[in-house]
Amino acid sequence: MGTLDIGGSQLDASWFLLLAAVLFSLGAAGVLVRRNPLVILICIELMLNAANLSLVAFSRQLQNMEGQLFALMSMTVAAAEAVVGLAILVDIFRTRDAEDVDDLSGLRG
Amino acid sequence: MAIAVFFVAAAVAVLGAVGVVSFHQPIRSVLSLVLVMLALSVIFLLLSAQFIFAVQIIIYAGAVMVLFVFVIALLGPARELGRGRLRYQGWLSGIFVLVMLGLMWTLLQGVQYRQPDKTDMNFFGTVQSIAIGLFTTYLYPFELTSIILLVAAIGAIYLSRKRIDDL
Repeated sequence: MGTLDIGGSQLDASWFLLLAAVLFSLGAAGVLVRRNPLVILICIELMLNAANLSLVAFSRQLQNMEGQLFALMSMTVAAAEAVVGLAILVDIFRTRDAEDVDDLSGLRG
Repeated sequence: MAIAVFFVAAAVAVLGAVGVVSFHQPIRSVLSLVLVMLALSVIFLLLSAQFIFAVQIIIYAGAVMVLFVFVIALLGPARELGRGRLRYQGWLSGIFVLVMLGLMWTLLQGVQYRQPDKTDMNFFGTVQSIAIGLFTTYLYPFELTSIILLVAAIGAIYLSRKRIDDL
């Protein structure tokens, strides 16, 4: 049941899910390791893309359109997140001289 | 054929993701992410998600990434300092990510797939089938996304307005 017939070739659905897992892990590693807030936002986009990939893969395996519709919704949310995140970033960099995320600890108390 | 396409696209995506994490200049990370998104769009096409493929290229690789490039152009090239305040951050995050990947790997070994629905594959993933879902069953969430986008636009305008004391 897990094999997908794509143009006559047999691909396993778990290959797509494994690729999504690897991309998500790389994005998570980027969020944890990198110190530039812009690059952290980029890595969050990478993780959202990996989640989209697994949604579309499950949609193809179940031959059910709902996974693709949900991927579309998550793309919308990702676009909104990128817009607000970048606006906050530009505002922070305009008002204070911050080099990386360690300088943005004003909310720590 | 499809297997070769999958492995080439997957290799490009993983290499691009490694580039996103490891490049020191933000602009290179952004361009690597564009590479990842193009490779993923090829994989979406393999999974017969034609509309998602087009949206991925137009919205993601086009619009969202141009936004990132604009912000980099606005802020100028940012340097990354060598090390932060948290000790062993690299090692700890490496261990965390490896453990998470191992967990996902073990979960994928035991995943049980449901019997697929009997769908006409000539119709699957087309703009028509997306629109039928979006405008009938999921009309309410679809309208709600317009509110999300409106809120995001208002928030971005509010955050980037000119302050009174700047004038």
